Amino acid sequence: MIKTAGLCFRYAGGGRNALSDIDLEINDGDFFGIIGSSGAGKSTLTYALNGLVPHHFRGDFAGEVTVNGLDTRRSAPEALARHVGSVFQDIDSQMLASVVEDEILFGLENFAIPREEIERRVEDSLASTGISELRRRSVSSLSGGQKQKVAIAAIVALRPAIVVLDEPTGELDPQSSRRVFEILKDLNEDHGVTIVLVEQKIMLLCEFAKRLAVMGSGSLILSGPVKDVLSHAEELEEAGVNIPRVAALARRLEERGLYQGDVPLDIGRARIMIEGILCDASF
Amino acid sequence: MNGFLGYVNGSSPLHNLHPLTKMIMSVALCAPCFLSGNHLLILGIIALNLCLFASAGGAGRAITTLLSFVKFSAVLFVLQVLFIRDGTPIFTLPPGIVVTREGVMFSLLFVLRFMASTMPLALMLSVTPVGDISNVLVRNLRIPYKYAFVITTAVRFIPLFSEEMLGIMEAQTARGVEFDTKNFIKKIRLLVPLCVPLLVSSVRKIENSAISAELRGFNLRTRLSGYKQYSFGANDVLVIAACAAIIAFSASGILP
Amino acid sequence: MLRFEEVCFGYGRENTISGASFEIGDGEFVALLGENGAGKSTLLRLCNGLLKPTSGRVTVRGHDTATIKTSAIASFTGFLFQNPDRQICQNTVYGEIMFGLEYVVPDELERRGRAEEMLGLFSLDGRRDPFGMSRGERQQTALAAILARRPKLLLLDEPTTGLDYRECMTIMGIVSNLNAEGTTVFMISHDMEVVADFARRALVLSGGRLIGDGRVRQIMKDAALLREASLLPAQIPALAMSLGNGFSDAFTVDEMVESVERALLRRACGARAQ
Repeated sequence: MIKTAGLCFRYAGGGRNALSDIDLEINDGDFFGIIGSSGAGKSTLTYALNGLVPHHFRGDFAGEVTVNGLDTRRSAPEALARHVGSVFQDIDSQMLASVVEDEILFGLENFAIPREEIERRVEDSLASTGISELRRRSVSSLSGGQKQKVAIAAIVALRPAIVVLDEPTGELDPQSSRRVFEILKDLNEDHGVTIVLVEQKIMLLCEFAKRLAVMGSGSLILSGPVKDVLSHAEELEEAGVNIPRVAALARRLEERGLYQGDVPLDIGRARIMIEGILCDASF
Repeated sequence: MNGFLGYVNGSSPLHNLHPLTKMIMSVALCAPCFLSGNHLLILGIIALNLCLFASAGGAGRAITTLLSFVKFSAVLFVLQVLFIRDGTPIFTLPPGIVVTREGVMFSLLFVLRFMASTMPLALMLSVTPVGDISNVLVRNLRIPYKYAFVITTAVRFIPLFSEEMLGIMEAQTARGVEFDTKNFIKKIRLLVPLCVPLLVSSVRKIENSAISAELRGFNLRTRLSGYKQYSFGANDVLVIAACAAIIAFSASGILP
Repeated sequence: MLRFEEVCFGYGRENTISGASFEIGDGEFVALLGENGAGKSTLLRLCNGLLKPTSGRVTVRGHDTATIKTSAIASFTGFLFQNPDRQICQNTVYGEIMFGLEYVVPDELERRGRAEEMLGLFSLDGRRDPFGMSRGERQQTALAAILARRPKLLLLDEPTTGLDYRECMTIMGIVSNLNAEGTTVFMISHDMEVVADFARRALVLSGGRLIGDGRVRQIMKDAALLREASLLPAQIPALAMSLGNGFSDAFTVDEMVESVERALLRRACGARAQ
């Protein structure tokens, strides 16, 4: 459970607030997407959740962030890391070892996980991200998509209740991006891990996230279930966020008085929408 | 493919040695180059290096590495030969530069030493994951983890940086900067402004790495944190014995 | 403008590109599609001589890339890399644009004029330090520096990756305008919506082989081809295909709305006839 109340942050030497007055609640088991134009404060918000703000990045901090009941200002990032795992966009630089297995071991060793448990954790984390066969491979021989899965596995091995990801698919092609989202979905559904995800790929967010927040110049503009957020087309446009084409289609049909109802988020539901329109007309 | 200082997957006998043995081996293969001035011995060491590379499944890579060394060494050799004036002259080049027998022999020894002493390090890094090196440095040699981490991170970043540099040069060539010029000095001059993007991207990468390490408990690590256990086997004993023999042989002065 | 004849290229023993033949005419806007590892970046680098074919021939505006210097080809081509940080090496936006011009425009006044023009086109502040800007702004700076050189052929390697929607539209809008004025564009993109909106023709690459070449509208509806190349079509064409009969021509949101209206009209007429 993550809670922020009146969270404001300004980087040391920064001209304006990177975050201003953020009130947010993310419940256990949520799949929470964050979207917004660049410079909107999305990354800074993830730093506030994993404690890098204010411990690593210094600046003026106001308000409160609690993660599983821990006040982030009073807990060191290492202590928070037991609750919140973090995955970043830049794939190569977050790798710390040259072999996949060592990459997974790094965190487990540091957090002094008992020896007898380590082997099981390594196996489980590799299995749950679908990369068991990569265990002995050298990191440099992997593709971008595989590396990002290793990064996720290294975090999952620490069994955090929450995983925060900052544009994890930024450098990946559509197929690999989708696979990363599928892994996150499994973690979320089968292992009850709370996922907090900053992402520009609106179509994937719409398909996988349960709730969505839209940020603009440091503030939270919209937040709620994906369908509700998508129905605020004007605010979205103002925030520089596009909506999936099928959602745009639904809006156009609505304007013409042809459709009323939920915004479809994927092609399957868009098809049901159109078939529904045609079916209604037959009576 | 991933630069010449990276780990290559494998399960050869060399891969399976204790990391400490591999480090000792790399020192032992280096030592004769400085203990002995015998050209043949050093050539032998280079050949041994190549065989070891081949046994670890990296023959192709060893040869490319060696070839790049040879190219570099050729330049060194020519420079050396031209600058050494003492000894018995062999022939004289048009502007009056004397090439001497001693100069040739000395320069040859110099480049052979250079090649023979660099290869063992490349060999060791290609059969030992940096994680293993850092583990034994910390546990067996009692080097504080932070220093071991600096060493391993440096090794890990070399291929990333060289890839970045190639990418930067490519981007500049595409906008008309003449990196494809044959003029060496001009090329160097063109390279200078490119240090800026390289530096910026390196600093970014290092910062990201630091964050990633911090969030995975880097600061909590102690000497005994390492999970992997390495055990000495019969092969390790054999290799260390062989290393001792090589050092003893080259230091003994049996060879002139 | 650009011509590939039976081009093969390989880094090692295996070919990354095998037997590619195609031609891109003046003023075309062509997208290059394919999954990661299909050889797209390699193919794009063959276009301006950053890579030279191991066999076959690549000609740009009649020049064989194997015989002309890459830096000479650069005088009429522009290449925008996925990562703008590899290009930007000056500490102001203005300086960056001027740096790129040094090699093509000898006249200082002309250079300044062109730089100003670009700053205006992209609404960039020339005094800013690129390293403190957002990824999207740096991408715009990199593109401005390339466009100032007025390339006839623009090669774009995933120009919109990592950008937000607004930045993506700014960049694609400028590229699209230039294309309308005659610049030939050859672009790699993973974003099928961008491809659907801007490109007219698409080449499909899979495992180093060219397996498709045609109008974007046709390629997006060729299910078998897309499957072979592990690609997903843009949303509206995908929806159109799944709806089938009477809808399969719809390619944009507008066209889809029209198709729905036409279908409704047909049903109404059908009902009245009964």
